[in-house]
Amino acid sequence: MKLSEVEPGSVVVIADVHGNPEVRKKLLDMGLIKGAEVKVVRNAPLKDPMEIEVKGYNLSIRKVEAEKVLVVER
Amino acid sequence: MIRTALAGNPNVGKSVIFNALTGAKQKIGNWPGVTVEKKEGICNYKGTEIQVTDLPGIYSLTASSIDEKIARDYILDEKPDVVVDIVDASNIERNLYLTMQLMEMEANLVIALNKMDLAESKGYRIDVRKLSNEIGLPVVPMVAIRNEGVEELKQTVVHAANSPKKPAIRYSDEVEEAIGEMEKKVTKERILPEYPSRFVAIKLLEGDKTILEKAGKRTEV
Repeated sequence: MKLSEVEPGSVVVIADVHGNPEVRKKLLDMGLIKGAEVKVVRNAPLKDPMEIEVKGYNLSIRKVEAEKVLVVER
Repeated sequence: MIRTALAGNPNVGKSVIFNALTGAKQKIGNWPGVTVEKKEGICNYKGTEIQVTDLPGIYSLTASSIDEKIARDYILDEKPDVVVDIVDASNIERNLYLTMQLMEMEANLVIALNKMDLAESKGYRIDVRKLSNEIGLPVVPMVAIRNEGVEELKQTVVHAANSPKKPAIRYSDEVEEAIGEMEKKVTKERILPEYPSRFVAIKLLEGDKTILEKAGKRTEV
């Protein structure tokens, strides 16, 4: 499933990151790498952006970017 | 005089450390051609002058934003004697990613491990000596807002300038093999000879846009 579909409060594991090379590199730079645990903290209206917790810090990402991140249940 | 640059993620206390080091002796301007603030200052350690340049706060050195480009170009082109990488101890995992990239650039690094008090209150216990041994670099624990570690940092910078080190990261055998092959080509074809060949090889394998462009222009591929 996509990270953008995960409900606040749930913890998931990143399976893959897609997107154009630049966006993908940026997401990887920010710690969204395969195997990393991600907690969805909360959503802004229309789920854009969403706040997540990854590698011990909080990150806000746009819906279009969250759609590029594939996750699985922990 | 020793030329040093301060690098680090946003919000690690870079400005606090810059102010603690340089006090009132600061010069503020812009980086050439862009409206990004450039701060420079001078400090003294037992008679040795240290020039300090504050680089923009960045998460990585991919050069995808103007801040990253400034920091990367400064380190690669101006080749400061020492690069102080300020790491937020309370957020160490993400911060060490930039450290790894700076190591790849073969900068002469000193790690300023700031916010040790915050890390402690979060329940982290960091073995500074072990960290230093693992990465092969000097690590100075600091609580910059209380001025703790500032003198030690100056001392470490002076020491690092006098005995420069070339940090290295070893990847898995497969990756190392690819880097080795690419590095041979880089050396043979003299691609960007002013930069470390291993760094160029890694960036070419990553498909890094800026390095590809720079290399392309030079060799007319």
